[in-house]
Amino acid sequence: MERFVIIGAGAAGISAAQVLRDFRPKDVVTVISTDEKVHSRCMLHKYLGHERDAQGINFVGADFFEKNDIVHISCETVKRIDTAAKTVFFGESYSAPYDKLLIATGSGFFIPPIPHFREAPNVFGFRDLSDALKIDEAFAKGRRVFIVGSGLVGLDAASALCERGAEITIAEMAPRVMPLQTDDYAASVYQKVFEDHGCKFLLGIGASDAVVDEAGNITEVILSNGEHIPCDFIIMAAGVRPRIQIALDSGIAAERAIQVDGHLRTSVPDVYAAGDCTGLSGVWPDAMAQGKAAARNMAGVDEAYPKPYPFKNTSNFFGVTMLSVGRLDLTEGADILVHKTPTEYKKAIVKDGRLTGYLSLGDISNHGLYLHLIRSGIDISGKLDKIFRLTFADFYGINEKNGEFAYSV
Amino acid sequence: MKRIFIEPAKCDGCKNCTLACMESHREDGGRGLYTLDLTDPANQSRNRILSDGKGGYLPIFCRHCDDPDCAGTCMSGALVKNQTTGLVDYDAEKCAACYMCVMACRYGVPAVSPDRKRMIKCDFCQHLEEGPACVRACPKKAIEVREV
Amino acid sequence: MNSCTDCLSRNTCLSADKPMENYIRQLPRETAHHRVEGQSTKCGFGLQGVCCRLCANGPCRVTPTAPRGICGANADTIVARNFLRAVAAGSGCYIHIVENTARQLKNTGLHKDKIRSEKALNRLAEIFGVTGSDKYDLCVKVADKVLSDLYRPEYEPMELVEKLAYAPRVKRWKELGILPGGAKGEVFNNIVKTSTNLSSDPVEMMVSCLRLGISTGLYGLQLTNLLNDVVLGDPEIRPAPVGMNVIDPDYINILITGHQHSLFTYIQDRLLDEDVVAKAQAAGAKGFKLVGCTCVGQDLQLRGAHYTEIFDGHAGNNYISEAVLSCGAIDAVLSEFNCTLPGIEPICDELKIKQICLDVVAKKANAEYIPFQYETRQADGDRIIDEIIAAYKARRGTVPMNLFTDHGNKNTLTGVSEGSLKAFLGGSWKPLIDLIVAGKIKGLAGVVGCSSVAYGHDTLTAELTRELIAKDILVLTAGCSSGGLENIGLMTPEAAELAGPNLKAVCKELGIPPVLNFGPCLAIGRLEIVATEIAGELGVDLPQLPLVLSAAQWLEEQALADGAFALALGLPLHLGVPPFMTGSKVVTKVLTEDMVELTGGQVIIDPDGKSAANTLEAMIEKKRKALNI
Repeated sequence: MERFVIIGAGAAGISAAQVLRDFRPKDVVTVISTDEKVHSRCMLHKYLGHERDAQGINFVGADFFEKNDIVHISCETVKRIDTAAKTVFFGESYSAPYDKLLIATGSGFFIPPIPHFREAPNVFGFRDLSDALKIDEAFAKGRRVFIVGSGLVGLDAASALCERGAEITIAEMAPRVMPLQTDDYAASVYQKVFEDHGCKFLLGIGASDAVVDEAGNITEVILSNGEHIPCDFIIMAAGVRPRIQIALDSGIAAERAIQVDGHLRTSVPDVYAAGDCTGLSGVWPDAMAQGKAAARNMAGVDEAYPKPYPFKNTSNFFGVTMLSVGRLDLTEGADILVHKTPTEYKKAIVKDGRLTGYLSLGDISNHGLYLHLIRSGIDISGKLDKIFRLTFADFYGINEKNGEFAYSV
Repeated sequence: MKRIFIEPAKCDGCKNCTLACMESHREDGGRGLYTLDLTDPANQSRNRILSDGKGGYLPIFCRHCDDPDCAGTCMSGALVKNQTTGLVDYDAEKCAACYMCVMACRYGVPAVSPDRKRMIKCDFCQHLEEGPACVRACPKKAIEVREV
Repeated sequence: MNSCTDCLSRNTCLSADKPMENYIRQLPRETAHHRVEGQSTKCGFGLQGVCCRLCANGPCRVTPTAPRGICGANADTIVARNFLRAVAAGSGCYIHIVENTARQLKNTGLHKDKIRSEKALNRLAEIFGVTGSDKYDLCVKVADKVLSDLYRPEYEPMELVEKLAYAPRVKRWKELGILPGGAKGEVFNNIVKTSTNLSSDPVEMMVSCLRLGISTGLYGLQLTNLLNDVVLGDPEIRPAPVGMNVIDPDYINILITGHQHSLFTYIQDRLLDEDVVAKAQAAGAKGFKLVGCTCVGQDLQLRGAHYTEIFDGHAGNNYISEAVLSCGAIDAVLSEFNCTLPGIEPICDELKIKQICLDVVAKKANAEYIPFQYETRQADGDRIIDEIIAAYKARRGTVPMNLFTDHGNKNTLTGVSEGSLKAFLGGSWKPLIDLIVAGKIKGLAGVVGCSSVAYGHDTLTAELTRELIAKDILVLTAGCSSGGLENIGLMTPEAAELAGPNLKAVCKELGIPPVLNFGPCLAIGRLEIVATEIAGELGVDLPQLPLVLSAAQWLEEQALADGAFALALGLPLHLGVPPFMTGSKVVTKVLTEDMVELTGGQVIIDPDGKSAANTLEAMIEKKRKALNI
């Protein structure tokens, strides 16, 4: 009988816990998390917008741990891992021995070294439920919000607070909103819809300093062009960094992220890592996949984890939906095909007969095959005339025996 | 698990299965093909009958895959591969309409609801005692349920 | 294909006529009843009327992602177009019938042929306002009046409309602008209108249906009856046998199918001539008999008093024609209109039954075409007789017999018409009106029209009728519905037991069944004359009468044209299934709601007999209340 310990109750940690229990019905599985409750950070804006409560953003059942006979130690941060003694230490003096350990600590929001930002009590991230709780408290005292970064996290937070009547200013270093997923036109559509809901955008500009009160709270953000923007609190949505401190402190190899091999093993035997903390990808579905793969390896299945493809994103703000997959930025030597009508905007990047990027703004129903075409590099040079209307019918194949579809190229 | 099998060679594109699916999932409280609102975009079929480009048809029906891309992407717990039935179940209450599942399904099966609040996918008509409505509706007997 | 063994294990549809249902189930061949199951998956687009196949860009269907056809037609246009086209086709059918009937009357006059009812002739002459030098001249003049109206261009109003129709109705029709032009022209014009990229005005198209209805009802229905009376004789009330028991294997039996009794004028008499009977006897039979099926059989039954020798009786309605042919004792089929099911072709081949087609519109693929032409009727008639005798000789003894001698009954009341019923009541409608006013008869319900099988053979018709009579509502029937109801005994005096207490008492006192048999669907026109005369006596318009109609198991386009007439008359019309129109909100609203404002009529759709009867009863009660009775 083996003892499995998992640090972190996010996408990777929980997925791993489920798979370990599925493979090993009798072994001990323990999850240690800083978070009190399991929640999906992708839905945090539903909580902040007061659309759902904490249970409403739980992505597994309320009885997940009970049902699966998994021990959940919550509100505890693991301080040290003794890799020789195979024990983790947390809390005052608690410890948990392991036969196999999974580090799934995720990533934390990053505050750049702008004066006062790292010390001010009214600067928040938007990663965890605890962040949302703090923002809620702050919002009760003041409604002027300054958001740094107009990526998905920044816009998530903005959309939640818009609904609650906030006065929002969003600063973005790039010249357009959601710069990594959009092009200029798509960004302008989202910008307009957010502006229609009361948000103000400052594009191509960043925060460079701040004015603070006696308690150290930032009362005005000073932009790089010298402008002062008054605010009640600030949400940092300017990027995340993998949480690697525990690895660094425990002699597990890590630089920007915890280093893992093709089976998600770290530099230390019997210690695995999965999710954002590995730096392989920053998106939820990849974290889930890594958690499951690591768990299978931990359970004795010798399975390589294929390199993830992180360039994939969907967004749904105020009923405007967009799908963005692949590399819209890598256009050298590629053909850019555009389809634009009053209700649809689509862009395809095609290089050497293969799709390398696809953007669709509008109804994104049935779009899943585009991601697959990009990942698999299927030759579509014969189908470019209908690139915006491709369906699986163009690649139809089926396994006669079990009825599963298969691409036929 | 049970899976819906379709023989494309027998499909004539009559779309009886499409109508049966719409009828099975209508939410206006009515019953019967006579009163099914054929112009309401909220009344979408979960299956699509697409042209194969050669005068025939390719029915694209959710496979409830053994290793579903959609459930493997879901961040809300709305899409789950049911271990007992083998079907990929969808809970609209849990769904946060992020549409990562739409992006992930390599066969392009899931669709976005017109109000952008839900995803639309085959649910194997588990609410019907007789099973999937499309099976019974096909006049060419091109659709059947098999154990796999 | 006919004796396919997998058909044998297949289910047949239910029938209100249980003995017939069993008989059909045991047959070693396929009939319409067997084919119902295989066709039970219906196209939803077709059911709603939103499939358009008019042009090469189609077929187009209305769906949420494609609510318009390629040309831009929306559901309302597509449905209205399909519906009007059907009504036009149905109207065309009836106008064809009255045209042939009028031509036969004209020939009778021109050639001084037999006139069976001078009374009927004079009645028409009076209505039309024509006089003649003698009765033959009168025949010609009367016929010409009808024909000239039928052949008028559609932009010239037909002359006889105001003479035939009830004045308050004509007034309303004038207000609505729906007085029909030439009947054939109207059909032509509305086919044109419903072609590709022509009319896309659903309301105008629905109003055109009303116009076609008036032309269908007054000419195709009412006049055909009255013209036929002259040449074929007035209906007389009498009990008669019905069902397959009427078939006597000792005779050479000819099954007749169609609507045009006038095409049989010559042959029905010729078959009784001594020399012809001798030919039959030489072949080994006692003589010839005509066996009735479909509306022409009902017509012969209606006038059966004049044809007791040649006519054995009405075997049943259209959807048992295949069963009737299976009994083995039918030697030939003479067809001249519908319903002559294509399904009889393989049966006639297998059982060596000679098929002869008298009117090309009802040509079966394997039938010999000997059209009825007045000038050559004698030679043609003899040829037909010889062919049939040859068939009799070739087939009897070589094909199996499967008689159904205890099917049906011997005492169905037949021969009811506006004339014979009035005479029965003592020459006036007063006794009937008094019974209605007193509440002994709650109201009148016409359960008319076709028989269908897709949802059960006559099942809804029978259930509805039973429910209505139980509510003391007197039921009048005409059409294949009649053929179905009489075979299950609802038109025998004993059926009074099934009526409600008041109606039962009336029936027993008068010695009538609670369901009165007016005969062929053409006689729906006779029913409407009854309504008009009663309304005239009461001094009210038709919508005010405690009268409702049901074409519960309407089958084809003619039924829709009939239905349009019912709506033009301002009557509530119940249908069991929708006529392929629910896909259009506009058309549905016009038929089921707005029509009340327009003409007083209304379509009610209900596949359930009990609830339909309740709805119809409520309507009757509402009308009674408004009349203070």
